[in-house]
Amino acid sequence: MIDLIIFLSLLALGYGFGRYAEQKHYRSIIKREKLLSSLPVIAAKTPPNVSQKADSILVSGNVVISVDYFKRFISVLRNLVGGRVTSYETLLDRARREAILRMKAQAKGMGAKLIFNTRFETARVFQGSRNQVGSVEVLAYGTAIIPQAKT
Amino acid sequence: MQYSNPQIPEGINTSKTHPLKEFFWLSSGVIAVIVAALLILILLSDLITGYIPFSVEKNLSIPDFPASYQQGPMHQYLQTLTDRVTLAQQLPDDMQINVHYIDNDTVNAFATLGGNVYFFRGLLEKLPNENALTMLIAHEVAHVKHRHPIKSTGRGIVLALGLSLVSSTAGDALVDTILGGTTTLTVLKFTRDMENQADKTALQTVERIYGHLAGADGLFSALGETSNIEPPEFFSTHPLTEIRISAIQLKTTNQKDSHITPLPEDYKGWLTTPDAPL
Repeated sequence: MIDLIIFLSLLALGYGFGRYAEQKHYRSIIKREKLLSSLPVIAAKTPPNVSQKADSILVSGNVVISVDYFKRFISVLRNLVGGRVTSYETLLDRARREAILRMKAQAKGMGAKLIFNTRFETARVFQGSRNQVGSVEVLAYGTAIIPQAKT
Repeated sequence: MQYSNPQIPEGINTSKTHPLKEFFWLSSGVIAVIVAALLILILLSDLITGYIPFSVEKNLSIPDFPASYQQGPMHQYLQTLTDRVTLAQQLPDDMQINVHYIDNDTVNAFATLGGNVYFFRGLLEKLPNENALTMLIAHEVAHVKHRHPIKSTGRGIVLALGLSLVSSTAGDALVDTILGGTTTLTVLKFTRDMENQADKTALQTVERIYGHLAGADGLFSALGETSNIEPPEFFSTHPLTEIRISAIQLKTTNQKDSHITPLPEDYKGWLTTPDAPL
């Protein structure tokens, strides 16, 4: 009985805080995406022809986000019946966009005009007991093109 | 060549379903499947355990409680009443009841595998008359008669087996919690059915022995005194005492004037000196 109460409290706690954090994060992501929209991020392997002399430099953005109890519980039930694991979709969506934003912020600080050859790495940072997902890390990296000042 | 990142509309990579809605459907669906599976397992278990001969059940018996008395005046008195009860309940010849008396404050009595029935001093000293004691004995003997100990053992084994299979497949502590909670409730529910059945048989037995039911509710009054807080009915193994008392009182309303048999004069002494020479 006491187990059930603890379990339900954890679930409610996970839902409450997890949902609050997620909505807050999304608001921040959307706001910053607009601010940094002038800096394009592309996946092409080769740089576009730049008439101007330019430096190219590696930029990266990295983020670690933890799964909350509620999301984990839903995903466990999903494992039994199959289908879209929607609780993890938002988690990874947030992580990818946040990683791009951090990479963009770094490039913008260096005066970059474009980031090409953008790549992602995803890793499970913490593996909980019995193969549970703990936190995910998403790393975005690419090559920033920084035009040289005309001499 | 011009590059740009247009703003992508929200909700392409994520689902619009509200998480609570998904939670509700997933958990109710999974719990429904679990309950259905458990019910089928219990049903199959009951089908099989009914065919286990009582002689086999005797060999399964748990080791004797070290502090129980199987002799002495108290044991003999309980045995005499038990013999009347077994006769009234028409138990099969091979179904022998072994009476055990435990000199302990616990307010309880129980029947277990192999026809072993245990009575604690804590409960016996609360009983007001012989009718209540006979009601208690009849209740425990009825459990043996209906093969409840072996049935619940069978259910326990089957459920434990099923649970370990499912939880090792699902492989998550969270699932264990859900499964465990669901199982406990299901098992309790069925145990309550058994208690009701035992009560019913016991009432018939008491009526057959004394010709009336007066005084039998003394058992449940005694049980009711022990706990101030009654658990919600769904979580309780035994049907709520109030319900049981009123069921008996309903039956006894027309028998108020009936003669209630008192306990023997030496009963109080037997309680504390169970090993006194006869």
